[in-house]
Amino acid sequence: MGYFLFRRTAGFVLTLFAVSAVVFAVMNVLPGDPALTILGLDATDDALAALREQLGLNDPLLTRYFAWIGGALQGDFGVSHSFRVPVSELIAERLPMTLSLAATGMLLTLVVALSLGIGAAARHGRVGDWGVMFLSQVGIAVPAFWLSILLVLLFAVKLRWLPPGGFPGWSDPVAALRSLILPTIALALVQSAVLARVTRSSALEVMRQDFVRTARASGLSRRRVLWRHVLPNALIPIVTIVGMQFAALVTGTIVIENVFYLPGLGRLIFQSIANRDLPTVQALVMLFAAIVVTTNFLVDLLYVLIDPRLKVRA
Amino acid sequence: MTRLPANLLIGAVLVSLVVGAAGLSLIWTPHDPTLMNIRDKFAAPSELHWLGTDQLGRDVVSQLMAGARNSMAVALIAVLLGGSIGVALGLLASAIGGWVEDGVMRLADLGFAFPALLFAIMLAAVFGPSLSNAVLAIAFINIPIFARVARASANQVSTLDYVSAARAAGMSRFAISRDHILPNIAAAVIVQATIEFAVAILAEAALSYLGLGAQPPAASWGRMLAEAQTLLYLAPQLAIYPGLCIVAAVLGFGLLGDGLRDVSDPRLARAR
Amino acid sequence: MFDLQDFTVSFGGHAALRGASLRIDRGDRLGVVGESGSGKSMLALSLIGMVPEAAQLSGQLSIDGRDMSRASERDWQRLRARRVAIIFQEPMAALNPLRRVGETVMEPMLIHEGLSQRAAEAKALALFEEVGIPDPAARLRQFPHQLSGGQRQRVLIALALACDPGLLIADEPTTALDANVALRITDLLVRLAEEREMALVFISHDLAAVARATRDIVVMYGGDMVERGPTQEVLAGPAHPYTRGLLGARPDPLANMAGRGGGRRQRLPTIPGTVPLLRELPQGCRFAGRCPVEVPQCAARVPLATRLGPDRSAACHLLQAEESA
Repeated sequence: MGYFLFRRTAGFVLTLFAVSAVVFAVMNVLPGDPALTILGLDATDDALAALREQLGLNDPLLTRYFAWIGGALQGDFGVSHSFRVPVSELIAERLPMTLSLAATGMLLTLVVALSLGIGAAARHGRVGDWGVMFLSQVGIAVPAFWLSILLVLLFAVKLRWLPPGGFPGWSDPVAALRSLILPTIALALVQSAVLARVTRSSALEVMRQDFVRTARASGLSRRRVLWRHVLPNALIPIVTIVGMQFAALVTGTIVIENVFYLPGLGRLIFQSIANRDLPTVQALVMLFAAIVVTTNFLVDLLYVLIDPRLKVRA
Repeated sequence: MTRLPANLLIGAVLVSLVVGAAGLSLIWTPHDPTLMNIRDKFAAPSELHWLGTDQLGRDVVSQLMAGARNSMAVALIAVLLGGSIGVALGLLASAIGGWVEDGVMRLADLGFAFPALLFAIMLAAVFGPSLSNAVLAIAFINIPIFARVARASANQVSTLDYVSAARAAGMSRFAISRDHILPNIAAAVIVQATIEFAVAILAEAALSYLGLGAQPPAASWGRMLAEAQTLLYLAPQLAIYPGLCIVAAVLGFGLLGDGLRDVSDPRLARAR
Repeated sequence: MFDLQDFTVSFGGHAALRGASLRIDRGDRLGVVGESGSGKSMLALSLIGMVPEAAQLSGQLSIDGRDMSRASERDWQRLRARRVAIIFQEPMAALNPLRRVGETVMEPMLIHEGLSQRAAEAKALALFEEVGIPDPAARLRQFPHQLSGGQRQRVLIALALACDPGLLIADEPTTALDANVALRITDLLVRLAEEREMALVFISHDLAAVARATRDIVVMYGGDMVERGPTQEVLAGPAHPYTRGLLGARPDPLANMAGRGGGRRQRLPTIPGTVPLLRELPQGCRFAGRCPVEVPQCAARVPLATRLGPDRSAACHLLQAEESA
């Protein structure tokens, strides 16, 4: 078990480094002259040279890479060209928003998808099952941003129950929560479509296995068999899928923040693109990619922990 | 006469509609999709403009058709590009095996760490947003997907008897890959390609919506939705049509892919 | 205790179990033999109410005087484990892989009998000892994948006995096990039935095991009960043509050892043809079409059971003719 842990962790760290290398390469090898971008076309050659020296742009690529990594590990991501503040400050400001959106979105997704999936499996072949199948098939094809627009159309424009976007700040908790309802629902519904299907097929697979028959033969109620025997076993392959969903969650959060004008990291990325603020974009892309890799790693570990059959082999 | 699965049929119908509209738009659209006519903005559906006009007086139907053409082109290029590279890598990994295979698969895992959006963001930040960047980003994330599928299928196929026979007869690994393995993994690859087509359409729409894809005045369903979002109080219908097109296209290719999978390998058909 | 009267289980008009009548009392040890498709599994499932949902049932089934012929799933849940329990053929995947086997065995006790955690643990320990699992205390805490096939089957038997049922149905309990493990499991089942005064229905196509374990036997073919009676009598002198064919097909391990280079290799007489599909079975006697001694009326008319002795009967037109002759 210890050896397995070591190997996986080593792989994880390696992947992180590889990801950072790719991000650094794309963002520093290809583009033009950052000094020019910062100072503008009118800058004198001297000013440009001085800035390049200051930013360390004359150093070899590898040195710059390690400088960046070293700084990143200490929480220093450089300074934003457009906002003129340390990138880490910008991130710290906006992280809570993104985290709360992602966390509540994931939670809602799990609740909706698991109940629909298990429910469909329990009613296999009947109306409920077909309904869920159909809904999830369509749900997969619906873009998150379009669903958001439709929700806004219904709840904000027509019914005027909820705000169409923006975030009023945390000082008024009720208003703050109200502005987060539609974004969370939009994020969760789209993700639920995929997860519900996977839950359903996983549950159906499990229901075909012998131990379910044994449980029934022991006189246990249908409900007990479903929730105490089928679900825990069905969750194992689902956990893997949920792990893969984190990439979609990251994408979805970025998109949703932009649809609803929420002041989170997703909005920040796009503002930075518009401003050609490379250090910020670089830091944020690295951050998001790191989140995806880390969650995949954690899910891998979780998988081994919850299945007693794998613990022996590990 | 074997009954074709419902998803295959429905998918085929939807796909033909979308591809048909896209193809038709190459030679004819009811109006020029970029032609502005401010006086006629927000027109209601009529014989002249079947779905009305948008905020700049442009014909909606023509834009939708041009958008279809755009989506199909992006998806085709991205999937073809990413798919060919991916399949080649996968075949390479399977044919050579050993540490080459491990290395390729590790690279593939790396690719999975980058959602298309992140890659597109990087490209956009560096080069500025453009449609070709979007295509590159989508192509890039297809590489590991096809590499995996190709390698897994190739591994399966290479255990078949006649492949072993070809190997014993001294055929070069390259020739074996090309002549024996490739045709046999074609089914799996085509199924995956159809599904990735659906994913690519969705990705292009999202990127264009965010401004990282098709730049105005180029027609794109995503871009149309972005513009419509600012006009929800004035013309809500403008937000509906492009979305429906996206759903139809993505659903169509998705169902088609599922149907093809069910038909080509019934053993893999999931529990229904 | 258990009384089946003319019980039929059909699917889309074709009977998988036809007109079964059976009485099982306390302490009975009944063997049910037949090939696949004979209806023996359907018989087992009928006794515990686990017949597939799509099946149409007719006839009577009563348990302890209570009519369970058309009972609901709820009603059956109350009886399962408590009055009747079943173990199936394949023990490998029959236990929840995420649960320790002790927990699995304790579950029915906690649910049905309302035992406390401690009492259930003690009872589970006692059961593990009873079914012959070595080092029971340690085993209780293990997961199914840590146990061998034979041990898993023993756990399943312990589970079946958890609430002390009056009837234990064993559907091919030894088929998936090694020969000597199978033998021990068979003896275990007999011992448990005797010590607990529990009825045992032992379903198998292994005639030797049935001979060892049971006092009475029912031979089934195509959904019909073609012959029944005391096990030794039926095996020694089968009356029904199918039973005769079945017994003739048993390999005799000693027959091939009749000396080097001179022994005649034993050829097993086989019953010609194969068991037809459910929908292709003849309407009358199910064995028609494969029977060596059939007459024209066999395929058309269902033969009635002819009494051959106080507990002995067989359903064959020829026997009926003999009797009336």
